[in-house]
Amino acid sequence: MTGGRSPEEPTAEAGHGAGAGRAADHPFDRGLQPERTALAWRRTALALTVGALAGLRILPQLFGTWAVIAAGAGVVLSVAVLVAAHRRYRASHRGLTAGRLGSSLPDGVLPAVTAGLALAAALAGIAVAVAAAGAGGLLHR
Amino acid sequence: MTRLRRRFPARVYEVGDEPDPRFSLANERTFLAWIRTALALTAGGVALEALGLGLQPGLRLAASVVLVVAGTACPLQAWVGWMRTERALRQNRPLPSPMLSLPIGIAVVVVGVLLLLAIAFR
Repeated sequence: MTGGRSPEEPTAEAGHGAGAGRAADHPFDRGLQPERTALAWRRTALALTVGALAGLRILPQLFGTWAVIAAGAGVVLSVAVLVAAHRRYRASHRGLTAGRLGSSLPDGVLPAVTAGLALAAALAGIAVAVAAAGAGGLLHR
Repeated sequence: MTRLRRRFPARVYEVGDEPDPRFSLANERTFLAWIRTALALTAGGVALEALGLGLQPGLRLAASVVLVVAGTACPLQAWVGWMRTERALRQNRPLPSPMLSLPIGIAVVVVGVLLLLAIAFR
C-alpha cells in the first residue's frame, strides 16, 4: 500500500475528525489512495470500452445484426462506467476531506455493474471463440 | 451522523463499523485488477481463435476455451472477493484469501502447455 506507513499516521487521520476536516483542495491522503483508485477505475473502464468496441466490430460478423445492439449497449455502458467512476472519485474526495464517513462514501453499485459488464464480455468471448473456430477463424473469411 | 442513504449491498454494509477508508480503497483497486485480468484473459482467448497463427486447430481451440472460461471466472472472483474482504474489514477480521487464484493460475499453465503442443503438432 503506502510504503509501510502505519494506519495511525496523523496525515491520513486528519480527514477523519467530524467537521474538522482539511480543505477540499488538499488530497485526503498523502499516499493519494483516492487518486490511485480513480486511475485504476479509469484504466479499467477504458479497457472495457476498447473490448466493447472490438465486440461491435466482431460480434455482428458472427451473429448477425442483433449483436450490434448488444455490443452497442456494451459501448454505452462502458463509457457510463468511465463517467460514473469520475463522479465516484469526486464524491469520495468531498466526503473524506470533509471528515464524513459512512453513507457519504461510495458503495458497491458501480463495482457490481462493472463485474456484470466484464462477465458479459467474457461470455461474449466464449461465443466468439467457439463460433470463430467453427467458421475457421475470423480474419480468413 | 445521519444516514443519508442505504449503501449496496446490504450484506456488506449491515455488519461492523466503517473501516479506515484507505483499506476500502485498496480493496476496490484489487477488485478492479481482477476485472482487468478477466478482460485480458478473454481478449487472449478471442485473439487466439481470431488470428489462428497456424497452430494445430484442436489444441488452439482448447487453449482458447480455457482462456475465456478463466476470463468468466475472474469477474465472479472480483465481486465475491470484494464483498468478503469489505465485510472482513468492517468486522476487523482476517482477510479472506482469493478462492480462484489457484484455479486461474493452473488454467494459465494449462494454456501454456496446450499452446506448446499446438506449436509442436501444427
